[in-house]
Amino acid sequence: MQKSSKLQHSYWVVVPAYNEEKYLAKVLKKIGHYTSHIIVVDDGSSDQTATIASQYTAHVLKHRVNLGKGAALTTGCEYAFSVQDAQAVFFLDSDDQHDPHELILFQEQLLKGYDIVFGIRGLTKDMPLVKRMGNIFISIFIYILFGKYFSDVLSGYKAFTKEAYHTIRWETHDYAVELEIAVRVARSLLKRKGVIIKTIYHDHDRGMTLLDAMHFITLLINWRLSI
Amino acid sequence: MSIFQVISVLFALFMMYVVSIQSKKKTLTVLETNFWYTTWISFMVISIFPFLLQGIAGVLRFSRVFDLLVVLALMVLTFVIITSYFAQKENTRKLEQLVRQIALNDHEKKTK
Repeated sequence: MQKSSKLQHSYWVVVPAYNEEKYLAKVLKKIGHYTSHIIVVDDGSSDQTATIASQYTAHVLKHRVNLGKGAALTTGCEYAFSVQDAQAVFFLDSDDQHDPHELILFQEQLLKGYDIVFGIRGLTKDMPLVKRMGNIFISIFIYILFGKYFSDVLSGYKAFTKEAYHTIRWETHDYAVELEIAVRVARSLLKRKGVIIKTIYHDHDRGMTLLDAMHFITLLINWRLSI
Repeated sequence: MSIFQVISVLFALFMMYVVSIQSKKKTLTVLETNFWYTTWISFMVISIFPFLLQGIAGVLRFSRVFDLLVVLALMVLTFVIITSYFAQKENTRKLEQLVRQIALNDHEKKTK
């Protein structure tokens, strides 16, 4: 196993950002300790997100209008794999809920031969009760529909190879992208691995609403029938 | 005329007003405008003289003309909703592609 304190040259970090001027600089500064290959996709922000991002990386892609997280991740992947010829990408949220120090854990698993690595937050008291319950419910629901169990499906911290991207290419353009990725992985022969990551929450988290839950359930049933 | 007939006629007149506005804005083509005028005029005529459809209702085994109209209206509604859903989905996909392409092109221009 090849261990390193830096990410490999052909690995890129994709950070989708929407009105994240508050935390973005902090996040990008921390990621900068591990790689300079950072792609920020500003998803139609109305604040200084793009300006701040351009101070830390030359790879800032700006959506003229807000499309949603799924679309921003697709743009980042298209740029990484098609323009920069990346061999793997890492997804990390821009709201400082993911510790970039853990990028190395993901890299270790990719180098071991896994196609996709999921970040799993511990279902501890650090996670709000509603989110904990929602996460468990969705994991069980996916298990019932697709026969595979994913802990913490809603975590946005993950990494996968170029080959895996071609298998799991998602269509969702909003925040349900994490679910679709899990479903497509469940339906594939990709080698997946989970790594335990820190559970970090900020005050601004709105949590999952009942409408979100209904939206997720509808999508999952739809994917069960169509994917 | 019953109250339902009065409401139906007023509704049809209102819809014809909407069609005329959209026609003036050039949102609808001449063909589409004529189609919608014909539809709403027919709707008014049938509302006022429902016995005109008595024969068709009998052939299709509907006991009342009203039942036939409800079924027809539901079929039209379903068709309109489904076509709108697919059109909206396709437009979203195209918008996403366009925004992505502009983002990639803008970045390419900046780095040249």
